[in-house]
Amino acid sequence: MSNVKIGESLRRVEDLRFLTGHGRYIDDINLDGQARAVVVRSPYAHATINSIDTSSVADMDGVLLVVTRDDWQREGFKPMPTKSGVKNNKDGTPLSQPDRHALAIDRVRYVGEPVALVVAETLQQAQDAAEALDVDYDELDAVTDPVKALAPGAPQLWDDIPNNLCLDFELGDKDGTEKAFAEADHVVSLDVLNNRVTAVPIEPRGCIASYDASEDKYTLYNASQNVHANRDTFAEVLNIDPAKLDHIAPDVGGGFGAKNSGYPEPPLCLYAAKRLGRPVKWINSRSESFLSDTHGRGQSSRVELALKADGTFMGLRTTTIGGIGAYAWTVGPFTPTGGSARTQGGPYNFPAMYYSGKAVLTNTAPMDPYRGAGRPEATFQTERIVEYAARKLGFDPIELRRKNLMPKEMLPHKTPMGLDVDSGDFPKLFEMTMDMVAKADQAALKAKAEAAGKKYGFAIAPYLECTGGGPKEHAGVTFNKDGSVELAVGTSSTGMGHETSLAQILAAALGIEMGRVKFQQSDTTATPLGGGHGGSRGMEVGGNAVKQAADEIIELAKPIAARLLQSETEEVDFEDGTFKAGASSVSMNDVIEASQDADKLPEGMEPGCLNHSSVFERGIISIPNGVHAAAVAVDTDTGTVEFLGYWVMDDFGTIINPMLADGQVMGGVAQGIGQAFLEDIVYDPDTGQLVTGSLMDYGLPHADEIPNMEIGYYEGEPTKKNPLGVKGAGEAGCVGACPAVVNAVLDALKDDGVTHIDMPLTPQKVWKAIRDKGAHDPKALLGDAA
Amino acid sequence: MEEFTYTRPATADDATGAHSAAEDAMYMAGGQTLIPVLKQGLAMPTDVVDLNRVGDLAGIQVTGDAVTIGAMTRHAVVAASAEVKGAIPALTVLAGGIGDAQVRNRGTMGGSLANNDPSADYPSAVLGLGATVTTNQREIPADEFFDGMFATNLEDGELIKSVTYPIPEKAGYAKFPNPASRYALVGVFVAKTAGGVRVAVTGAGQDGVFRPAEVEAALSADFSAAALDGVTVPADDLMTDMHAAADYRAHLIVVMAKRAVNQANGQG
Ligand SMILES: Cc1cc2nc3c(=O)[nH]c(=O)nc-3n(C[C@H](O)[C@H](O)[C@H](O)COP(=O)(O)OP(=O)(O)OC[C@H]3O[C@@H](n4cnc5c(N)ncnc54)[C@H](O)[C@@H]3O)c2cc1C
Repeated sequence: MSNVKIGESLRRVEDLRFLTGHGRYIDDINLDGQARAVVVRSPYAHATINSIDTSSVADMDGVLLVVTRDDWQREGFKPMPTKSGVKNNKDGTPLSQPDRHALAIDRVRYVGEPVALVVAETLQQAQDAAEALDVDYDELDAVTDPVKALAPGAPQLWDDIPNNLCLDFELGDKDGTEKAFAEADHVVSLDVLNNRVTAVPIEPRGCIASYDASEDKYTLYNASQNVHANRDTFAEVLNIDPAKLDHIAPDVGGGFGAKNSGYPEPPLCLYAAKRLGRPVKWINSRSESFLSDTHGRGQSSRVELALKADGTFMGLRTTTIGGIGAYAWTVGPFTPTGGSARTQGGPYNFPAMYYSGKAVLTNTAPMDPYRGAGRPEATFQTERIVEYAARKLGFDPIELRRKNLMPKEMLPHKTPMGLDVDSGDFPKLFEMTMDMVAKADQAALKAKAEAAGKKYGFAIAPYLECTGGGPKEHAGVTFNKDGSVELAVGTSSTGMGHETSLAQILAAALGIEMGRVKFQQSDTTATPLGGGHGGSRGMEVGGNAVKQAADEIIELAKPIAARLLQSETEEVDFEDGTFKAGASSVSMNDVIEASQDADKLPEGMEPGCLNHSSVFERGIISIPNGVHAAAVAVDTDTGTVEFLGYWVMDDFGTIINPMLADGQVMGGVAQGIGQAFLEDIVYDPDTGQLVTGSLMDYGLPHADEIPNMEIGYYEGEPTKKNPLGVKGAGEAGCVGACPAVVNAVLDALKDDGVTHIDMPLTPQKVWKAIRDKGAHDPKALLGDAA
Repeated sequence: MEEFTYTRPATADDATGAHSAAEDAMYMAGGQTLIPVLKQGLAMPTDVVDLNRVGDLAGIQVTGDAVTIGAMTRHAVVAASAEVKGAIPALTVLAGGIGDAQVRNRGTMGGSLANNDPSADYPSAVLGLGATVTTNQREIPADEFFDGMFATNLEDGELIKSVTYPIPEKAGYAKFPNPASRYALVGVFVAKTAGGVRVAVTGAGQDGVFRPAEVEAALSADFSAAALDGVTVPADDLMTDMHAAADYRAHLIVVMAKRAVNQANGQG
């Protein structure tokens, strides 16, 4: 029998390593003879590159190589591919995808864009040379706001992409929605900003590339959350066979999407390593990370809700203009289009919905998925308009939600956005959350806030989201003679605990001791395929791959057990780590041991015959859902917000390890709170310079700003879309948090006439909204552009 | 970072000597500002004179009417000092609210004052209490020490040795932190001293720390938060940045002044 079960809050086995400073991150790795690389980045948001004079640094101390656009063009290296899930405009024409080279070729289009790579003996020498490199630019007009970038007369980023429009997308029933709006008793409309943010993983990006000429093979250590896809991207760029590139991500210190993409620096370093015949190491600084990591969110939307007189929802229409930065990055165009369309309307019963979204190029850093990628935006859009409508029309916001949730009997249901909602019980989760809240005694919380001279606010935000990311995952299990069991999975933990949870699934399924399992991830040699980390897919796809491999191993083991039990394979049953045939039984441990011993194996089976790999493929994406609720106290003298309570009920299907799921929820909520109150990527609209280029100006939440959370799980409706019944837990926290906390603040300010404040709700903005008695233009963002 | 010569003298005289012997030297206290500035190449001294081994620069002395704190005394030491708390509790409140634990364990009073960041906390205590800054050359009264953003009247090579704070009848400090950096977006130090009421504002002024006349006048008449009802501070000379416009800062000055007065009066 195993010492662990599914559903048990097992402590993280990786924590001893991490907490005692024994993690092995990119900067901990040093290879013999390595040189150091520094990227020369564009100081301009938009400029023509006239010339790059490498002779200005060639003679500097320690300088080994300067890679420029000339090398890139001479070598015939390819642009980096874009793999957006939506490829066509609504008129059927393909999206406009500019070439995205690792180095700017003719023009730079955002501050921080790589222009050259300088390699020197030491970091200091490389930095000095990077600073000295003479690049001659002619500055051009820049545009950083996607709404302005679409307007006539805006600076054009690409000669062949009119109006900077990369992708023009729609989904849903346009005419049916129009009809619903025409027939509605009430129509409410509000422009909603989803502020642009960046992930700020605690470990910046970095890589070490090396090249072995004798075998014509490359090795790349890279802080990546997606080694297989990135390997293919880099191989494509450099015109090499992917099999010749071993891509390894050691311990990775946070990703949240920002380490998902194929970035320019790794192929530059791979090329430099080959040219120099030496390993080349590059580590991004924190300042450069702000400029060059992908950013997320950044959507301006008009959200319109049609209701009957009694509050019944009739239709939802959302029009979004989303910035994607200067290039269509790895999957960038998808987020403001298909990514934000899918879960529009949340868990509510909407007979009609229509979404249109434009992905727009701007002179800013590239944008790609950030934790949730579209689902937080969709939930925020939906929940803001519901709250706003309740205020405008005089409905109780809690009752209005309660009234419109899809009843359980409606499921399975395909939403007007085409989302397959197979399982769940939204009203039940709503009431379970309200019960949790009731225990906290709202009247007492309100009294507490008022005693301190503050205003009390409460809001509840049901959410519904979906998983995503690569649909296939590989799990390989190898039984070693020393008793250890290697588990190699193609998912990628950037700190969330796969070493524990995936091992837990294997140990529980096979009925072996957890301590025997050695986990291996993020190595393209150890794992032939893998979808990495993204879209809350770790348990949903990776966990199921492990479960499938374990189930198949049990079947493979049955003939061995039958021989040990002197029975027939068909007679053998397996349960709790034990094979049984009639009254006799043998443990999985004994069967594993026998599998290494030719004498104990049935005819035709060889030692090592239990070693097995399996590929699990997800059919349809799962639907995590739940409810967040927040209670706040607003200091109207200063505009600061304090939390008095935070409650979450989640339906993630089966919970593998509740403690790890809690960690995901808490971290997600913290990121949501960060976005709602502090985080904001701000570019100077005239120069395109990044204003929030350091942690002195880009606010991240501190631990003391995050409330204690009461978290519950409802496991009564596991999904049938996968054998484990899991729905994905990784992103839900930041899907539910923004609407819950923003609506709670607006509830507190309802008597001040304040009905809307765009995120982030900084103290200054909250104070100003109160001072101005809520004066606000509901068409402030899109004007007539919608 | 450019190369420089590093020295680590044991006495204050050796430190000033090393400074004057060098072409273009800078002192290093906790390095909390200096190191990032060097890394970014914003300063390129030929020499860095490390003060961390200069023993006689750190320490706290409380006499009947004053608290004297050595320039190399860390913020954490001031924050935790029972003696300081007994004499001027507002000073421990202030020190305990600077940055985070790491910053407080390295950062020093002398470094903070020499740097005179317009958002730093200590300048408001020095000005608000009418403290005296003692250097290797002279004694500088608070009203003459600060000279606009990131500027003081220290001469090149002049070393801050200690700061002497007269013990007030009562004092309070209220800080509204910048949501990102947690420096003072607005910090107000109020003190009722033998020589009258003094108020100093940090974080808000375009020229760094200053004394708001309107607030001082109101509190001189009546040292209570209620006395500040209806008082406004002009926004003209206040900073505007992405975190706070001048009008918000002007508003916060009065709000924080009230809180500081309440603290001084033992009311919150
Ligand atoms: C993350 C962070 C957060 C912070 N938050 C706050 C905050 O909330 N509030 C706040 O007030 N401050 C804050 N600070 C500033 C910090 O508290 C230090 O006071 C400040 O950085 C000075 O650091 P230091 O004492 O290490 O001096 P150093 O950095 O070593 O020196 C600073 C300057 O002072 C000069 N100098 C140092 N000592 C002397 C001396 N005895 N005589 C003459 N010149 C001298 C140096 O030459 C240098 O120019 C923060 C700093 C950081 C890094």
